[in-house]
Amino acid sequence: MRTIFLSSALVALVGATATAQQPDTTARRDSIARADSIARADSIRLVRELERIRGEARPPQQIGGMAPTPATQPTNPSLNPNISVIGDIVVDASPDGSTLESARRFDVREIELALGANVDPYFRGDFILGISDEEGLAIEEGYLTTTSLPWRLQVRAGRFHAPFGKQNTTHRAELHTIEYPHVIQRLLGAEGGKGTGLAVSKIFSPFGFYQELQLTAIERFPEGAHEHEGEEEHAFEGEPLAPPNKTLRGLGYTARFRNYWDIDESTNLEISFSGGTGRIAEPFGCESVLVPGELEPCPGPDGETALLARQSLIGADATFRWRPLQQGLYRSLILQAEVMRQHNDEPALPSGLPGSAAYLGPTEETTGLYVFGRWQLTRRLFLGGRYDWVGAAAEAERDLSAVSGYLQFFPSEFSKMVLGYENLRPDVGDRVNRLLLQMTLAIGPHRPHPF
Amino acid sequence: MNRLVILGAAAAALAAPLPAQTLRVVTSTTDLHDIAHAVGDDRISAMSIAAGYQDPHFVEAKPSFALKLGKADVFAYVGLDLEIGWMPTLVDAARNRRINRGGSGDVDVSRVIPVLDVQATADRSMGDVHPRGNPHYWLHPENGKRIARLFRDKFSELDPEGAATYRANTARFEASIDSTTRALAPMLASIRGQPVVAYHTSWRYFQEFTGMNIVGFIEPKPGVPPSPSHLAGLIQQMKRTGAKVIIMEPFYDRKMPDFVARNTGAKVLVLPPSVDGVKGVDSYVELVDYDVRRLAEALR
Repeated sequence: MRTIFLSSALVALVGATATAQQPDTTARRDSIARADSIARADSIRLVRELERIRGEARPPQQIGGMAPTPATQPTNPSLNPNISVIGDIVVDASPDGSTLESARRFDVREIELALGANVDPYFRGDFILGISDEEGLAIEEGYLTTTSLPWRLQVRAGRFHAPFGKQNTTHRAELHTIEYPHVIQRLLGAEGGKGTGLAVSKIFSPFGFYQELQLTAIERFPEGAHEHEGEEEHAFEGEPLAPPNKTLRGLGYTARFRNYWDIDESTNLEISFSGGTGRIAEPFGCESVLVPGELEPCPGPDGETALLARQSLIGADATFRWRPLQQGLYRSLILQAEVMRQHNDEPALPSGLPGSAAYLGPTEETTGLYVFGRWQLTRRLFLGGRYDWVGAAAEAERDLSAVSGYLQFFPSEFSKMVLGYENLRPDVGDRVNRLLLQMTLAIGPHRPHPF
Repeated sequence: MNRLVILGAAAAALAAPLPAQTLRVVTSTTDLHDIAHAVGDDRISAMSIAAGYQDPHFVEAKPSFALKLGKADVFAYVGLDLEIGWMPTLVDAARNRRINRGGSGDVDVSRVIPVLDVQATADRSMGDVHPRGNPHYWLHPENGKRIARLFRDKFSELDPEGAATYRANTARFEASIDSTTRALAPMLASIRGQPVVAYHTSWRYFQEFTGMNIVGFIEPKPGVPPSPSHLAGLIQQMKRTGAKVIIMEPFYDRKMPDFVARNTGAKVLVLPPSVDGVKGVDSYVELVDYDVRRLAEALR
């Protein structure tokens, strides 16, 4: 080891002498030689110290009650992936009974098991398994991400949160609020919109600020909960002539264009635009002969009971952040707003059906938005509020609207408690008061989340 | 003829030496930035992600930083998980092979540092611990020299033509540290053995350098805000040990240190742990000088 080091030092010295091109004074040369000599002595001492510590069975020498240890020791010699677990526990203390999807008062809403590591010099792998009473074990996300493509390109393959809108790309347990905004739940799903496929993104800055274009092609466009509060799902789903993915036109596609500006060192603004489209199988039916008023499947000429309908979604979001650098542990502000509009095509029914035949998929245009703000009160306490609005659908009585407030307490970076109150005026039925308590905890080296 | 002139001019332009390309260096902290600048001078362009008056544990992973990192030839960071809360996001977002783990510009500075306080066993009940060791090592001038030598070697590897300049600048930097520490000798002698209280465990290497005796912390565990019972115990401990100075960083709230100071008669001393942490501390050498002088004055 020492021989190798001394040889390297000799080669470096010879090389350095050979490459020195600037005229040096004698004093300067002496000074450099002295510095090199000190540096080599220090390096030799450090190497010896390393060898001594490695060779000793007993603990290293104590200095001031603390042990100096080289930082170069391997920290993960088995190359194991990082393993983290995130628990999301919700208590519903609403006065009129549980308002959770599970209808429980105390619910372990989900446990996420996250594993991640570099696969090789070209890919990183991230896998997140969701465990819940409702869904059992499910693949929440699982994707490979390229790490070394040129031109600031990145490709992701697998299942992931579709890059549509701002909050949709954040896991539910890590939101500032207890649930996704209503517009996301309605148009993309209660757990946000996910897709399995390919995503390509490119970063650029032709105007001096950050811009990113994200494009995805996914197996199936994320479907929101397009049936409304109080409305029952149809008893049948129907079978289309061919699955949506038979042609490339039937896949889901999304695009997101991010623009980010630093206003000053404490303040920044992001304004982004999203769009998506895909074809979804929706049933059609005819009035039952036996039970008048009820719909039942009535196959088309080729036996199909569903049609492929195109659904498109556009959105825009803006996020303003303020966090003074020096007082950043204690003061910060986030203001965020997002608006989405969904358009549903109504496909023509097959010919030859009875006169009572009707298309049962969504046909309305739906628009929704939310405005969210969060103010940091102390190092561990935050106060937030959100206003939600989703326009009335054809069958609904009125627009959905909700006002909610949140008090967040972070005992540490790895645990969070949120007390939330929401006054919800659903599109059908009575106004609901909701009182929720969420506890989230993360164990293991869970990777930080994107800004 | 005109064509010949144009061709000749084009050939001459191609043959002329290109202006020297500067190495684009991004550092995680202002201390590394200043040392990199001292070594690289005008052969490098350098920027720091964290400001000197900001807690380097909690930096926002802004996309604008990813843009800077995307063009970097070198990304030098403190390591030992100091930047774990934001660095992986930025390095991922930068999409720059040079600064990926093991890339030519990936410089984990901690690898040349003899690290203190490595935890044999660690879990988060111990607070925000760094299992691989205390990362605030730049506050010992000998480590400042080690960092400079690492930069000298890395910059020479990436820009061999500048090797002589880097060597000379490193020697000059080390000499300025040596002359500063020599000048501080009387003050260091007055600090040695004196009991003090610190807010966070940032001053562990500064303790090794100055010989001050840290007898307690405002935080009961690293990163954990103090409880009233912890502060009551700390006040008793300060009275018992005679600690008369509470050292804190500029980014912490003064309320708790002021409370303890009122109950013990101690002084609260805001010391910058990094370059640019307070006005007038614009270089690494000035940081060492300022912190030692202010501490010696406070203990007088």
